Amino acid sequence: MKKLYVVAALLSLVGLADALYLTIEHVTGQSVRCTIISGCSAVLSSPYAVVAGIPLAAVGAAAYFTVFSLAILTLFGYPRAATLVRAMVITMFAISVWLMYLQAFVIREFCQYCLLSALITTALLVVTMIARHAR
Amino acid sequence: MKRTLPFIIILVVLAVALGSAWYLTRTIPASPTLGSQSPQSSLPPGSQGSPVAQQQKPPVVQGVPGADPPHVLGPADAPIKIEEFGDFECPPCGIFHPILEQMKAEFGDKLQITFREFPLVPTHQHALPAASAAEAAGLQGKFWEMHDLIYEHQGDWKKEFDVRPIFEGYAKQIGLDVERYKRDMNGDLVAQRIFADGKRGHSLGVKGTPTVFMNGREVPFENLPAEKLRVVIQNELRSSGR
Repeated sequence: MKKLYVVAALLSLVGLADALYLTIEHVTGQSVRCTIISGCSAVLSSPYAVVAGIPLAAVGAAAYFTVFSLAILTLFGYPRAATLVRAMVITMFAISVWLMYLQAFVIREFCQYCLLSALITTALLVVTMIARHAR
Repeated sequence: MKRTLPFIIILVVLAVALGSAWYLTRTIPASPTLGSQSPQSSLPPGSQGSPVAQQQKPPVVQGVPGADPPHVLGPADAPIKIEEFGDFECPPCGIFHPILEQMKAEFGDKLQITFREFPLVPTHQHALPAASAAEAAGLQGKFWEMHDLIYEHQGDWKKEFDVRPIFEGYAKQIGLDVERYKRDMNGDLVAQRIFADGKRGHSLGVKGTPTVFMNGREVPFENLPAEKLRVVIQNELRSSGR
């Protein structure tokens, strides 16, 4: 079971790097120029990219950091942290599904970095669910 | 130690994340448009009042030659030579098009404009057919007419599944020999021209569109809104003494 939380911690680190990159793209406004990954330009400049004035990517970075911290705490024997990891990951997965819907049907552009984030969240969900049943 | 170790790991990760975010936001120049503004509002007057980015003058770059002859508007001895790398499907390029038109109207013969193809394939599925359409029109001496039509109607064709019939309509509209245009669209010459412009772009370090060079120096993206570009051109004219 411990190994699964190591995997979860590593996955959330990749998610953190991805979300941080998107946050920087968003904050510096580089996303407004078209580049080879410019699906992100449409997504990041859409009204859905900001929640209460905070870039959604920054919220994502904070969420991945929280999952990382909780996974580390679980590894070091804090049992309640495991419950919190699951709750966080389920919430993040639900938000990811909503964001995928927005990209596919509302914005109609896909940002590769957002897709990577959804993939990581899905993997995190699988890992934490297996960890729960492996106890 | 075992009790504090997880918190040390967490703090180290936090420090690395915040440190790299701080470093990267410092090294990437901030654009005037932030947050939820749409790309449509990113270039035009939205950033009025903010000063022209005072950065160190970038070096003059040469690069490898692009397509020959290039598509050029304006006199050869114009003191301001602008070279734009554009992608017809890119929204900021569509926004930049009327800005450049405005500059042309304001500065007249002091301005020479060169357009270089930089279709962002595969990000923009219609960018290559659009570039090919403009180049094919260019082979009949009507590059700029096609260039203008494609940009002006960007919103009309962008979401279409097949853009070729639309561009053929433009070809008819500007009086091209449509059969020849259709042959040229898929011909080697057009492909070679686009490839040559792309090669030039890469040699100059072009990563996205629009990328604009003025007298061989890259104009920062944040200086492309009309009111800032005007100041950049005026400054360049002043420094060239004309």
